[in-house]
Amino acid sequence: MCGPPSGGPHSFVRSCPPVNWSLFFGELVSGLTLGSIYALIALGYTMVYGILKLLNFAHGDVYMIGAFVAFFVLQWLGGPISTSVTGWVAIAIMFVVAMLACGGLGVAIERFAYRPLRNAPRIAPLISALGVSIFLQNSALLLWGPQFRDYGTFTLIGVKTYSIGSNFFISNVQILTISASIGLMIVLALLVSRTRAGKAMRATSFDREAAEMMGISVDRVISFTFFVGSALAAAAGVMFGIVFGQIFTLMGFTAGLKGFTAAVVGGIGSIPGAMLGGFLIGLTEAFSTGYLPGGSTYANLYVFALLIAIFLIRPTGLLGSPVIRKV
Amino acid sequence: MPDGQLGAGLPEGAPEVPDAVDRPRVGTDEWVAQHEERREAGRGLAGLVARTWERIPPPGRLALLLGPFAVFPFVTNEGNLYRYGLITLIYAVLALGLNIVVGFAGLLDLGYIAFFGFGAYLYGIMASGHSGHHLQAEIAVPIVVVATGLLGLLLGLTSWRLLGDYLAIVTLFFLQAFVIFVNNANGGLNDFSYPFVGKVDLTGGANGLDRIDPLNFFGYKITTTKGYYFYTLIALAILMTMLFFVNLSRTGRAWRALREDPLAAEAMSTPVNRLKLLAFMFGAAIAGFTGTIFGAVQSGAFPGDYDVGLLITIYAIVILGGLGSIGGVVIGALIVNGAPELLRSSANARFLFYGVLVLALLIGMRPWYRALVVLVGTIVFGFAVHAIVGAAWSRGTAGHTQGGGAFGRALDHWVVLPTNPSRIAGWAYFALIVAALALTLVRGWWRVVVMIPTLYLAAFVWENKLVEQVSGATRLILLGALLVVIMNVRPSGIFGTARVEVV
Amino acid sequence: MRKVIVAALLAAGVAVLTTAAWGSTKAPKRASSGSNAGNALVKCGKTRTIGLMAPITGPAASLGQPQVHWANFFKNQYNRTHKTKIKFVPEDTMLGSANGTAEAVKGAQALGSNPAVLGVVGPAGSNEVKATTGALKGAGVGFVSGSATNTQITLDGTRTGFFFRTVPPDSSQSKSVANYMVNTLKVKRVYIIDDQEAYSTGLADEVQALLKAKGVDVSRDGVSQQQSDFSALINKIPRNTQLVYLPWQLPPKGKAFGQQMKTLGRGGIKLMGSDGLFDPAFSGLGNNVYDSFFPLNPADPRVAAFKKNHSGSELFGAPTYVATQVVAGAIDRACKDGTATRAEVRRQIKKTNILAKTSLLGLPLKFDRHGDMVKKPFGIYKSQKGVFVRVA
Repeated sequence: MCGPPSGGPHSFVRSCPPVNWSLFFGELVSGLTLGSIYALIALGYTMVYGILKLLNFAHGDVYMIGAFVAFFVLQWLGGPISTSVTGWVAIAIMFVVAMLACGGLGVAIERFAYRPLRNAPRIAPLISALGVSIFLQNSALLLWGPQFRDYGTFTLIGVKTYSIGSNFFISNVQILTISASIGLMIVLALLVSRTRAGKAMRATSFDREAAEMMGISVDRVISFTFFVGSALAAAAGVMFGIVFGQIFTLMGFTAGLKGFTAAVVGGIGSIPGAMLGGFLIGLTEAFSTGYLPGGSTYANLYVFALLIAIFLIRPTGLLGSPVIRKV
Repeated sequence: MPDGQLGAGLPEGAPEVPDAVDRPRVGTDEWVAQHEERREAGRGLAGLVARTWERIPPPGRLALLLGPFAVFPFVTNEGNLYRYGLITLIYAVLALGLNIVVGFAGLLDLGYIAFFGFGAYLYGIMASGHSGHHLQAEIAVPIVVVATGLLGLLLGLTSWRLLGDYLAIVTLFFLQAFVIFVNNANGGLNDFSYPFVGKVDLTGGANGLDRIDPLNFFGYKITTTKGYYFYTLIALAILMTMLFFVNLSRTGRAWRALREDPLAAEAMSTPVNRLKLLAFMFGAAIAGFTGTIFGAVQSGAFPGDYDVGLLITIYAIVILGGLGSIGGVVIGALIVNGAPELLRSSANARFLFYGVLVLALLIGMRPWYRALVVLVGTIVFGFAVHAIVGAAWSRGTAGHTQGGGAFGRALDHWVVLPTNPSRIAGWAYFALIVAALALTLVRGWWRVVVMIPTLYLAAFVWENKLVEQVSGATRLILLGALLVVIMNVRPSGIFGTARVEVV
Repeated sequence: MRKVIVAALLAAGVAVLTTAAWGSTKAPKRASSGSNAGNALVKCGKTRTIGLMAPITGPAASLGQPQVHWANFFKNQYNRTHKTKIKFVPEDTMLGSANGTAEAVKGAQALGSNPAVLGVVGPAGSNEVKATTGALKGAGVGFVSGSATNTQITLDGTRTGFFFRTVPPDSSQSKSVANYMVNTLKVKRVYIIDDQEAYSTGLADEVQALLKAKGVDVSRDGVSQQQSDFSALINKIPRNTQLVYLPWQLPPKGKAFGQQMKTLGRGGIKLMGSDGLFDPAFSGLGNNVYDSFFPLNPADPRVAAFKKNHSGSELFGAPTYVATQVVAGAIDRACKDGTATRAEVRRQIKKTNILAKTSLLGLPLKFDRHGDMVKKPFGIYKSQKGVFVRVA
């Protein structure tokens, strides 16, 4: 099996090279960090799809705008070099402002680009979403240029690496990302399952007409869904900037694509599915980079292969419900 | 009391049922119920043009659409021929293929451009200085078309079990996979090692497959832009004729049934899966064919050419022209490719911008005097603001419009042009979006009042910000806005008749 | 009446198309074809027209803008000191944008069919050079690039006599870099990471081959230019690697990579970039950062004069200054008798001879038979106190 026999040519004992735990744990942490960002984006996609059956192409660009809004807040606070408040407080302010701003943006997009098309043939809001996406991306490109903007995380809060044993390393920003992301997901799950607004969301996604007849204001529920989904995407954008340091106006496309894939892999319309899908995609990317040949170059190809494999086994995604087609 | 009206048979106390004209009658199908709407649409100039168009026999319609294209090369120089003519035709053929998949059969294929690239690369592998083979086009092109069709079949197989939105993601990823593959398959040290043959330089990697031979039919090489132009034009004419007949055939009707309601079609025993595969194959084959043309024209195939940007362009053409409309793709290609070229010079772009604005105003505001009020009001408002700003803050109006020209210089006195507009222009842009959205919420004379400052703000933003990147970001901003507006106003595109259900 | 309306509408449609054709150029409407174009005689008036192809907008605008600035810098200098004037016809190639090389080909076609254009500066990307060769060669126009460095484009014989470049090719850079790594730094374990673009993979391939031939243990991988997360890849880099080679184009990416290396405990590994990363963002990472760049002299008075009107020295565009110098000089010489053809201008470009001491690049400007400069060295720089200082 592993290497040359250790007790002479006829021995059965072969010395296997020690498992590279450092690589394993490293990729695990990378994968979880990436995955938590993808999961937050995927949640926005899946919630909107669940209620409107619409693929919101503009979601990735809302993520990008969230990252930029936080950057401008940081600049306004004097950062990244000399902020007028301590680093962690600055980050908290960035999160709050970005989430509120993007929540509002999401509501505005829904109100003007999707609501008039609620009864139109399915492809009309899809194209409208594409149009909004192009519009947002290029407006950002026009106003802010294609250059990279630096969050300056090193100077802002100082990046420290913690280690458990000699093989497990994790940095404070990675811990922040993973825990904040899981925290937000828990809040969302509680919101959807325990509150009245959540119940209204679930009812509307189950059967819109019936919900309307029961007195639920569908317009308000949909706006609320967009608000929450966009706020989550903004949080993901800020986290990305903090962990990886750089944001640029074209980042929405790839992240949106991966988030969309995560939502679909987990079963679109299912919130636990989106979370699962996000982490799965992130871990696949990390582990394929680490272990498979030409990993980093072909990482997207490996994710694609995983996608096909999952669809061959479960055509509606991992946790998706089979689609009932009514005549 | 029986008086022949609907609701006459209801018991007393029942609410009045409104007149039949205002809503589709219960129990009647939608087509019949929209009878009054259709009659309304048939009036007016647009209706007149549409009805006259219907009366012309199909060959005449084809000649009318493509006639100007045939005349074009004789009235222009080579540069313009390439820019406005050849690229428009190539995009039109591509859009035609996509129209089969999306417009006829209703499948959301987001990986279509991969077939385009596949066609170009395969042709390059068979006939280029890079690969060393020099097959003649009459052998190479059919091979490429068939091979691309087979690839389309393979991708179409994934639609067997997948429904609309899942198909979209798989096809999109297919495109990404294609780009990555083509970028790395150069037999180099980063490439896969294939069984039996080891590492092979298939595509030249990131450097592209260069020195592709010109199309060589039976010894006759097409080397000039004019040659490729006419070749593509003839191909477009043949394809359009073919599709016209397919539309009338049983397959075309089956595709329409599949598009309108897949479940009902299946219940009526149309072979739904086979039709989907057929659509994929057809579309892919057309894309492959176009790929051979494009590869020969550029004498090279480069990975960056076949990516999502081009996909969005072709989709925009199909949507604008109308899903399912064969002639519409030509008009769509003209608009989507021709307009940005016109926008390249600031002076031209300015004419186009203000022209479109005034035109939209005249069409949009029904009583003509309202439009006139808005126009005059905006001009007066502009001069007033310019004077005030000029008096209060000298640097505010010291700048100049880009591009010059008489119109530009005249605008110097009307639009506020600060010397350093970046930050103000950014906030003005945001304000313009808010104002434009607010416009959709108000009605009547309020709309006139709000529109005047909005128009002036639009001119301000244009001169100070949008003009900088006219052929880049601005073109796409306008395209995005156009898509949203079109979907809200006329979802089926300019000439479309389709209603696509993405199940 | 109806027929009149319909006929009017159709006529309008035809008119729109013809206007589009006429509107953007004042050139005569004869299509130029084949080899005749290069021999069309042009009267050299007071103003000479040069085509300028660069990515003015789009994702690669950060590469194109310095080029345009330096070209304009030369033009202004020239116009101040000469009786004849130079005028540019700019064509935005939008390198890296949605339409790929199609924009460059459109621009080349437009320049080719503009009879006043006697020579072209650009295009910037090696793939663009390949795609536009057909159009520019067909129009008989010579083109000189200040940044297309792919080794093969001068050696494969397709554009000999038409294409020249005022920047050393990748083969020089890879040789200098590999030699420095093996002979001076004496590293035995190298990790090469490209960014999947043509420039990057070309350089990476060459350096990898050279290192392997000298017995160095080389690993290779790639990232995409859109990627900001390198942690998955960095985890894979063994801790005993001595040097990571990054032939990338975008300095902020290089900076992000270096910072992530430090976070993941690999801050001691040396980093080496290519001329795309020659920027304070990259050198600011620390003292174990190296780079390669053409041996421009930063103390040249022209650099200082340029810096006065621009925010930085934008050295990436300096070879475009030289390219403009070459084309302008060739046109001057060809126009000595009052008229010139594009073929004459090409011949004069071939005969360019600018001495080292007057050349901005610190190199003599003479072209060999392939179109490369005869002397094409690359210098190696090391980061000292955040600034790159030449060490080889």
